[in-house]
Amino acid sequence: MAKVGVYVCHCGSNIGGVVDVEAVCKHAETLPDVVVSRQNLFMCSDPGQEIIRQDIIGGVVDKVVVAACTPRTHEPIFRKVLEGEGLNKYLFEMANIRDQDSWVHANDKEGATAKAKQIVASAVAKARNLLPLEDKYVDVTKAALVIGGGVAGIFSALDLANMGNKVYLIEKEPSIGGVMAQLDKTFPTNDCSACILTPVMVDAGTHPNIELLTYSEIDAVEGYIGNFDVKIRRKQAYVDWEKCTGCGACADACPVRTPNEFNAGLDNRGAAFIHFPQAVPKKAVIDMPNCINCGGRTIGSEQKISKKTGKPILAPCERACPAGAIDRSKVADPNGEIIDVKVGAIIVATGYKVMDKDKFKNLAPDSPNVLTALQLERLISATGPTGGQFLRPSDMKKPHTVSFLSCIGSRDERHHTYCSRVCCMYMIKQAKLLKEKYPDLEIYMHFMDVRTPGKDFDEYYTGAIDMGINIIRGRVGGIDMLPGDKLRVMGFDADLASNIEIDADLVVMATAIELQDDIKPFAQKLSLTLDGSGFFKELHPKLKPVETPVEGIFLAGCCQGPKDIPDTVAQAKGAAAAAAVPLAQGRVKVNPTISEIDREKCSGCGICEPLCPYGAISMIATDAAHPRARIEMTQCKGCGVCTTACPSTAIMLHGYTENQIMAQIFALTA
Amino acid sequence: MAAINLTKMDKEIIQKIIDHGGKGITKCIQCNACASVCPVAKAGFPLYGRLLFRKIQTGHFEEIIEDSSSWACQACNRCTEICPRDAKPFEIVFAFRRIQANELAISTSAFTPLMNLHATGHAVYSEASKELRQKVGLPAVPVTSIANEKAQEEIRTLLDNSPMGELGIF
Repeated sequence: MAKVGVYVCHCGSNIGGVVDVEAVCKHAETLPDVVVSRQNLFMCSDPGQEIIRQDIIGGVVDKVVVAACTPRTHEPIFRKVLEGEGLNKYLFEMANIRDQDSWVHANDKEGATAKAKQIVASAVAKARNLLPLEDKYVDVTKAALVIGGGVAGIFSALDLANMGNKVYLIEKEPSIGGVMAQLDKTFPTNDCSACILTPVMVDAGTHPNIELLTYSEIDAVEGYIGNFDVKIRRKQAYVDWEKCTGCGACADACPVRTPNEFNAGLDNRGAAFIHFPQAVPKKAVIDMPNCINCGGRTIGSEQKISKKTGKPILAPCERACPAGAIDRSKVADPNGEIIDVKVGAIIVATGYKVMDKDKFKNLAPDSPNVLTALQLERLISATGPTGGQFLRPSDMKKPHTVSFLSCIGSRDERHHTYCSRVCCMYMIKQAKLLKEKYPDLEIYMHFMDVRTPGKDFDEYYTGAIDMGINIIRGRVGGIDMLPGDKLRVMGFDADLASNIEIDADLVVMATAIELQDDIKPFAQKLSLTLDGSGFFKELHPKLKPVETPVEGIFLAGCCQGPKDIPDTVAQAKGAAAAAAVPLAQGRVKVNPTISEIDREKCSGCGICEPLCPYGAISMIATDAAHPRARIEMTQCKGCGVCTTACPSTAIMLHGYTENQIMAQIFALTA
Repeated sequence: MAAINLTKMDKEIIQKIIDHGGKGITKCIQCNACASVCPVAKAGFPLYGRLLFRKIQTGHFEEIIEDSSSWACQACNRCTEICPRDAKPFEIVFAFRRIQANELAISTSAFTPLMNLHATGHAVYSEASKELRQKVGLPAVPVTSIANEKAQEEIRTLLDNSPMGELGIF
C-alpha cells in the first residue's frame, strides 16, 4: 500500500489569501493512502522542502503530492527533493491550486477551497498509482548551428567557437554583419558602428572553429536536442568564390541598375555586386533575376567567337574579372547546393526588418524626402550613397529643417501594439549627430513620449535638448507635399495644447521593428512558435529568455523581440552559454514520460504513425506477418495522441497510464 | 483653433530671455513640477510653469507679453528647488518680467509696490505689523529704511539710476 504525503503551500497570500489551506489539509487526511498532510507558507523554501525531506527519511511517506503552484517552474524543485533522499523522483505529483484555482477564483473563497480539495484528491488518486521511471540519455554531436550572421549571431558563434565547439554560422546575404553593418553610429556613445563591428566580423570569418556559410538558407531541420540533422541551401552565387578576390571589377562593369538593399534603396547596384565595402567574406555574387545576360551570355550557354575579332564574346562581368572567377559557360544549378550538417544545438538569430514607409499613406511615402530612419543611417554614413554628406534625395541640397516622427507603426492598433524600443534613442542619436555637424539645422522631434530606459540614455536625451533640438509631445497625423519640395508636417503639441505644423525639407520616420515576411515558414521548419507580437516566443518571459519550447534550440537578438545592440550582444552570449550546456555535457537526458508500444498488443494497423506531430513513430517490419509500430524515444514528446488513438490500447504513455488517469477522473467525479 | 506653424515663429524671444538671466529656458522638459507648487497657480493666474516656458520656447511673444501672471510671482523659489532639470524657473520668470517691464507691460497690481519701494525701500509695508512686533517684544518700527531718511534717499538714488529708472515710472 502506498504511503502518500500531501504538502499544501500557501504561496504567501497567492493561495492562502483565497483558499482555506487548513481545510484542504484536513480534507487530504481523509483520502485513501494519505498518511500525512502538512502545510507551509512557502513549500518551495528551504524549510518547506525540509518538511518533505524529513518525512521521506523517516520512512513516513513513499509518494509525494505537493499542492501549490505550477509544475512548469516548480516540479523540478520538488522532484530533486525526492531524488536527494533516494526516492524515485517520478513518484511525485503536483496539484496546481494556484494558477488553476486561487488566481481564477479570487472572488469565491468557498468555491476555491472546495475546488482545491478536489484537485488535491485527484492528485492523490494519481499518486497512489504512480510507478518509478528511469531517465534515459543520448549522446550529443559537439557542434552548433547559428542561423543569422548579424551582431547576435556573430557573438553567439564566437562564444561557442571559443569554448571549443564547431560552429556553422549561416547567413542569407552574401556577407555577415546584419543591420548593424548598415548603421552609421550607435547610441549613447556615438561609436562608429562599422568600426566596432568590422573587427568582430573578421574574427568570426577567420575563426578556426567557425564555418561561415553565407548566401545560404535553412532548407530543413530534423532531429532533436543533441542530434539535429540540418539541410542548408547554399544559394547560387554564379561567381567562383574560391577564385573571387572581392576586387569589385565585375560590379563596376555590370550595366544593370537595381535598388541597392544595403543602402536601403537610396541608390542602385549592379546585378553583379559586392554586398558592402567591409563585407566578410568579401565575395561577389550575381543576382540572376536582375541579370540581363549581356551578349546573350545566359548561364550554361556555349561561348561564341566574334567573327570580327576572332576572340570569344564575353559578358562584361566575365571580361572584367581578373581572377577568372566568372565563367558563364559553366552550367550552374539555380537552386544552389544542399549541405548536410549535424549539430547538437541551434541558435536562431535571424534579426528583424523595419516596416516600409509605403504602409503609411498619410505620411507622404511617395516623397523622396520622406525617409525611414534606416535610410537616414545610410544617408549619413561614410559608406552610404552620398559618402556621408547630408543631402536630401530630391535635389541633393542640404536640408534646413528636419522633422523626426516616432512610433510609426509601433504602439498603433492598426499595425503593431508593441513599442519598438530603440526608435526614441536612435532618432535622438541621428538628431544629435546632425545638429553637431550642422548647428544651424532646425530639428523637430515628435514623440508620444520619450523612452530612454538604459545606462546613460536619459543623459543622452537631455543632451539633445541642451543642443537646441526641439522636442514636441504629440503624434504626427499627416504630411502634405507643398510646392518647392517642402513637406508640411501636421502634428500636435500637447504642451501648447494646440495643433502645430512644421514646414520641413526632410522627414525621418521611425518605422516599427518587425520580423521578415517569410518568417512563418521558417519557424515551421524548426517547430518554433511566434508570440502575439509576431516575434519568436521564448520558453519563459523571465526565467527562460533564450530557450524555446523546442529543446536544443535557442534565441538571440531581435528575432525574440526589439532590442538595442548591448541587449542583443548580452542575449547572444546568453544563448551561446545555454547552447553550450548540452554540448559540454556530451549527453542529454530523455524525459521518461513518453509513449511506449507493447509489441505483443500492437496489430500493426499503422493508425498512430501519421498522427504523431513529431514524426517519432515508424512501422518496422518484424518476423511476424505484419509490421509493428516503433517510437523513437528521442523524438517523442509525450503528447499522448498515439496513446488515445490506438485501437488495441497497445501504447502506454509513462506517467499518464490509463489506471492513473482513470483514478484521477474517479476522484474528481466522486 | 488654427494650427500653429512652428517653422514660421520668431524665436528671438528665447535669446532675449537668456540675455535677461533666464538661461534655463532651453532646458525645460515640460514636466510642470514647478507649477505644482507655484503660488501663481494657486492664486488662479493662467500663465505659469511649463505653459509659460512652452510659449517662450515656441516663440509666442506677442501672445504672452501683456499677460499679468508673472507679476504674481512671489519669488518664493520653490520652483527652483523642485526643478529636475535645474532650469531655475524663477530666473526665467524674472527674465520674462524684465522684458515685460522694458515693454512697459507692467501689471497695475505691481505699480503700488514699486512706488512703495521707491518711497520707503519696502515694496510691502504694513502699519498693522507694529502691534504684532510689540507683542513679541520687538521695537514697533523695524531698524530698516522705513525709519531712516538717509537710507531711503540712497535707495531712491539706486532705483533712479537702475534700468527701472529709465522707464520713467517713478
